[in-house]
Amino acid sequence: MLYCLFAIVILISVYTIRHYLFTLNRLFGFQRHPYIDVDMADWPPVTVLVAAHNEQKVIAYILAALMKVNYPKEKMLVVPVNDRSTDGTREIIDRFCEEHPGRIRPFHRAGGKEGKAAALKDAMELVETEVILIFDADYIPGSALIRQLVAPFFDPEVGGVMGRVVPLNVGTNLLTRLLDFERSGGYQVDQQARMNLGLVPQHGGTVAGVRLSALREIGGWNDNSLTEDTDLTYRLLLAGWKTVYQNRSECYEEVPETWQARIKQLMRWAKGHNQALADYGVKLLFGKHRATLRERIDGFLLLGVYAMALLTLIGWILALGLFYEGVAPLHGVIALLAITAYGALGNFAAFFEIAAANRLDYTHERICLLPFLVLGFAVSVFSISRACLSQLLAPIAGVAFHWDKTERFRSTP
Amino acid sequence: MNPAFATVLLVLVAGVLFTLPLVPTLIELRLKRDGQPLKVVQEFAGEIRHFSYGFRKYIGNVLEPLQKCVASGSTARGTMPDGDPYLLLGRSDDARLVSAGRNATTCRSVVAAGTDVVFPDGMTFVKEIYAAGKFTGGEKTEFRSVLGEKDIQLGRASTVIRWAHAVGALRAEHDCDLYGRISADREIQLETGCAFQRLNAPRIALGRPNTQEANDAAETAPISPPVGRRLIDEDLDIHPGEIVSANIVTRGKLHVGAGARLLGSVKSHEEMVLEAGVKVEGSLISASTMHIGRDCQIIGPVIAEHGIAIDTGTRIGNVRTPTTISAPTIQIEDGVTVFGSVWARNEGQVVPQK
Repeated sequence: MLYCLFAIVILISVYTIRHYLFTLNRLFGFQRHPYIDVDMADWPPVTVLVAAHNEQKVIAYILAALMKVNYPKEKMLVVPVNDRSTDGTREIIDRFCEEHPGRIRPFHRAGGKEGKAAALKDAMELVETEVILIFDADYIPGSALIRQLVAPFFDPEVGGVMGRVVPLNVGTNLLTRLLDFERSGGYQVDQQARMNLGLVPQHGGTVAGVRLSALREIGGWNDNSLTEDTDLTYRLLLAGWKTVYQNRSECYEEVPETWQARIKQLMRWAKGHNQALADYGVKLLFGKHRATLRERIDGFLLLGVYAMALLTLIGWILALGLFYEGVAPLHGVIALLAITAYGALGNFAAFFEIAAANRLDYTHERICLLPFLVLGFAVSVFSISRACLSQLLAPIAGVAFHWDKTERFRSTP
Repeated sequence: MNPAFATVLLVLVAGVLFTLPLVPTLIELRLKRDGQPLKVVQEFAGEIRHFSYGFRKYIGNVLEPLQKCVASGSTARGTMPDGDPYLLLGRSDDARLVSAGRNATTCRSVVAAGTDVVFPDGMTFVKEIYAAGKFTGGEKTEFRSVLGEKDIQLGRASTVIRWAHAVGALRAEHDCDLYGRISADREIQLETGCAFQRLNAPRIALGRPNTQEANDAAETAPISPPVGRRLIDEDLDIHPGEIVSANIVTRGKLHVGAGARLLGSVKSHEEMVLEAGVKVEGSLISASTMHIGRDCQIIGPVIAEHGIAIDTGTRIGNVRTPTTISAPTIQIEDGVTVFGSVWARNEGQVVPQK
């Protein structure tokens, strides 16, 4: 029991160091934005895929925004991927097609496997361009965003591009404010630090792009994955393609407004991530491929972030058990020092990261809500642990592939 | 002390001490003082002409009186809606008025000239300048920003602090320091010794005009589109005159011999050196530094994460396909032509030929 706890503590310490490394890099390190200045070029033709499953509340916003972007009209085709919608999504898309002839080519999918990856896979029959951009239907791209996301593809090493996601409905309730923190830390610090350090920025599957030849080389979309974005990141990495992050390519999204929707979203992400850990973890660390040592280590740690929630929970249980067993390793002195040090520094690594992200974003009063992160942290630990356990038990329980769509809250325009 | 009272007091004090740090949290949760989404720029603020377009709208407030000044050949002073003083010049010889006042070398008004105008040497303009006609600045003059509806000529050793935009051509004489955004709808010409950060124009001539500049129509057409991608883990040397039809990514250094032709895009993780006369149809990307030799032709974007040096006679982009050069530091020799944008995040410089 004691050695298990030690192992968990070491793992937690590794992630703590990682948090600090990323945060300090963002605060004091060299910042890489190599492609953001490309404002003039012979822009390549691009296909913008908009994944939509029952999105009547939001689809009109993104289509309207895409029709206004600053990109040569003759070089951009919007393909709304209407995946088996049963609401008014199809009618809204068709109306936009009539209003903007030649600029939107809808892909209406009536059947087939469920999930975003499966829908995107089917929609590839309409894609003829080397550069593909992907948005979820609840996003609202600004006028410069398409150029900014396309620019990195001038680099022949780039297979995937990821922009920054910014919550639009921040002020709705405590949850949306906590999610604003989470996104801020995740993008402003984590993703950009990975970009700076030459690690593995993660493809997010929205506000993102992928090179068609790279996608074909790795075998297309994996429709067995619950998180096609994580899956894509690792397959690109293993095939020698880089995914790059553009922190200044920002796009509004709608975050979940109810804890129920949030927990569903978290559980899907956790399962998908763990699936990728099982599929690519060992190969990434020890396999023969082109990833550098630092990419291997960071990539593996990134794959393990959701598994850490379950390990943390097990660690708490073990610590309690050992306490009541009366176990005090090394006369309790080391344990006491370790607990004190972790309480002073380790515990606050994630808080420090988010506080730094807010500072980099020039926000002010919202940082006051930082103590509430404990609540979000607790919900995440238990939800993700639940997802991990159900995933571990799935082969026994015989649970089939199921994809949970994130609920939308915006009112229909 | 009564034990019950002491207990209650202890609980109360502990409760207050626990709650006190949470007071700002609870206030923010209730009042939502910072509950708005982050400002994501939906318009393209990165557009180089963003500020000059904004200023044109701003100056619209005085265009009517400016036209009256031009018609009557007079000068007028007043205050803009935001409280800034303005000076309207209706005649070109009025320009000497900008130096009038207690401090003869500093002008603190927004200046709008309705005709061609020539400004005196050695002045400092704290506010923006608008010129409806051709604008000629004196030597060693410091400008905040200039918008010229025709051409702009900046005198030797002048400085632009924020931006300058010419609807026609913009020319800067020797040793000018051009901070911020410098743009022209027709052409920019910078003489040697000029420092810059951001330039954008259909044609940018750096140093003396290149007399041997190739005719766009005569440019060689691509032989065939690039096929596939070559990944190389060590240094790569492309031989002189070699034609390479793939995109290339090398983790080491890249050396391209004189006269080689690359039909695709090229990236090196370390230093990239192109010898004289190399032609690249795609983009050039270096995660380190890049040196482009004499008389090269690059069609796609040129990006280096640390620095770029470009030798004389080289052309980047062309009239039909403008492009971007981007690096923290850019050193361009006399006689280079760029079509599109040059972004030196820290500093760019036009230097004499070696």
